[in-house]
Amino acid sequence: MKGHNNTLKSAKKTQQTQSILVTILGFVIAFVMIFPIIWLFLSSFKSSSELFAYPLHLFPEKFSVASYAKVIQNGFFIYVKNSLFLAVVGTLITVIISAMCGYAFAIYRGEIKYTNKVFGIFLLGTLIPGEILTISQFTVISELGLYDNVWGVILPVVTTTTGIFMYRQHYMSIPLSLVESARLDGASEFKIFKDIMLPLGSSVTVTLTIFSFLWRWNDYILPLMVLSDQKNFTIQIAIKSYIGTMGVDWNSILAASILSILPVIILFIILQKYITGGIATTGVKG
Amino acid sequence: MNKKKQAFCHTRAFWMFVAPAFILFTIFFLVPLVLSIGLSFTNFDGWKKMDLIGLKNYIKILKDIEFYKTMIRTFIYTAVNLPFKVILPLLVAVLVTSKLLKGTTFIRTVVYIPVLLSALVVGITINWMFGQEYGLINFLIQNVGGTPLEWALNSKLATFVISFASNWASIGYFMILFIGGINNIPRELFEAANVDGASKVQVFFKIMLPMLSPTIFIVLLLSTVNLLKEYALIQGISLGGPGTSTTYIIQYMFDQGFNQSKYGYASAVGVIVSFVFIIITIIQFKFTKGGGEV
Repeated sequence: MKGHNNTLKSAKKTQQTQSILVTILGFVIAFVMIFPIIWLFLSSFKSSSELFAYPLHLFPEKFSVASYAKVIQNGFFIYVKNSLFLAVVGTLITVIISAMCGYAFAIYRGEIKYTNKVFGIFLLGTLIPGEILTISQFTVISELGLYDNVWGVILPVVTTTTGIFMYRQHYMSIPLSLVESARLDGASEFKIFKDIMLPLGSSVTVTLTIFSFLWRWNDYILPLMVLSDQKNFTIQIAIKSYIGTMGVDWNSILAASILSILPVIILFIILQKYITGGIATTGVKG
Repeated sequence: MNKKKQAFCHTRAFWMFVAPAFILFTIFFLVPLVLSIGLSFTNFDGWKKMDLIGLKNYIKILKDIEFYKTMIRTFIYTAVNLPFKVILPLLVAVLVTSKLLKGTTFIRTVVYIPVLLSALVVGITINWMFGQEYGLINFLIQNVGGTPLEWALNSKLATFVISFASNWASIGYFMILFIGGINNIPRELFEAANVDGASKVQVFFKIMLPMLSPTIFIVLLLSTVNLLKEYALIQGISLGGPGTSTTYIIQYMFDQGFNQSKYGYASAVGVIVSFVFIIITIIQFKFTKGGGEV
C-alpha cells in the first residue's frame, strides 16, 4: 500500500517537472517569436546617432520620438487615411458581394442546374496565383482609367473566392425550408436575403470582415504598381518609399513600421477568438 | 404556369445575387487571364508596340539560361524550406495543445502575432535583426568573440535570412491549422493509448501524425505555392540580391515586365509559371491522395 502511494507521488512529481519544462519551452518559443518585433519597437525610439552606434543597447539610452515626429511631419496621417479608406471600403464591398454570391450558390443549388459550374469558374481564382496576373491586371486597370486612383486598388481585389466559399458552406447548412416559408409569406427573394439570411450569416461576416481588413491594410504589390502620386500612397507604399535607391532611411522605416502594425496587433488581441476560430473552421489565409 | 414563372423569377434572382461578384471577377481576373495568354504571343512593350510574334517569347524563354537558373533557384528555395514550414508549426501546435503547458493562450497569441504583419514589414523586421554593421545578430556574434557575418553580401546567408523571415511569418498561421487538426482527433484514441502504456513519442508517431495527415496535406500545399511565389518579403530584405541570388520566379517576371518593358515576354513567363504551379498542385493531390478528407 505504502509502495503504491510512493509511485503515485513520484508520478505526480515527474508530471510537475514535465509541466515546468514544457512551460519553459513554451515561453522560450514565444520570446523568440516576439523578440524581432520588440527589437524593432525599442529601436524606433532611438535617435539616429544612437541607432548606428556601437555597442548596441537593448533599451534606448535617450528615449527619442524624433523618428515618429519625422514620419508624421512627412504626411504619415495622409497615408493612414488612404490605407483606412481602402481597407474599410474594400472590406465593405467584399463582404456584401461575397455574401450575396455565396448565398445564391447555396440556396438555388437544387433548382438551377448550372450553379456549381458558375462556382467552378470562381475556383479558378484559387488555382492561379494572383501575382502572375498582376501585369495584365495592371493593363486592364490602366485601360479603365484607374491608374493612380484608389479605386484601381480597391476593385481588383474585392472578389475573393475564399469569402464566397465561406458563405456558400455556411448557407448550405441552413435548412431550405426557412426560405420556402418566407416565400409563402410573400417576401421577395432579396428581402429574404437581407432581412433573414444575412443576419444568420453573421459568424462568417465577422471572420471575413477581420481578414479582409487585414489583407487590404497589408496589401502591397498592387498598390505599389497602381499608385504613383504621393498623395495617394498607402502606409505600405510609404514604408517602401523610405527604402530609396540613395540609401535607407531606417529611422522613418522603424517608426512607420511600428505605426502600421500597432493598430493591427491591438485589434487582434481584442478580436482573437474570431480570428483563430475563423482559421480553424474555414482555413482562411491570414 | 405559376411554376414556370417562379423558376424564371428565381433564375433572375440568382443572377442578380451573383452579378456583382461575377462582373468584378470577370473584369479583374478572367480578362487579365485571357489577356496574359494573348499578350504572351506578342511583343507588347506596355505602351504602343504590339505585334503578334507567335511562339517567339516561349522559344526565347526556353533558350534563356537566366530563366532556368531562376526556376532552379526557386525550386531549391522551396524544397529546402518546405520541411521547416510543416515541422516547426506542427511541433509548436503539439506543445501548445499539451495539458502540461501553463499560459497557453498567451503563448498562442504571441506566436501568431508575426502573421499579422505585411510581407514588407516582415522583411524589414528580420532585416533589422540581421544588419551587417549595426544588426543585433552580428553584435551578439562579436560579443562572443566571433567575426560578423556578411548577411547581405553572401548569397547563402541572404537566402537564410529570407527563409528565416518566411518561416517566422507563417509559423503562427499553420500552428492554428494544426491546433484545429489536433483538437479534431477523438480523445478516446489518446486514452486507449494511455491504457496500453504507449509512450509520448509513440502516441505522436502512431496516432497524431496519421490522424493529422489531412492538415499536413493542406499545410504542404499552401506552403509550396507560397514559397514558389515568394516576392513581397524579399522587397523588404535583399531586393533579390546579392546579384540575383535571391531573385525568384515572380520577381524575375516583374523585372522583365515592368523594369525592362517586355510585357509580352513577362506574360509568357507567367503562363509557364502558372502551368508549373497547376502541375505541382495536381501532383501533390495525386501523391498524397488529397490527404483523405480535406
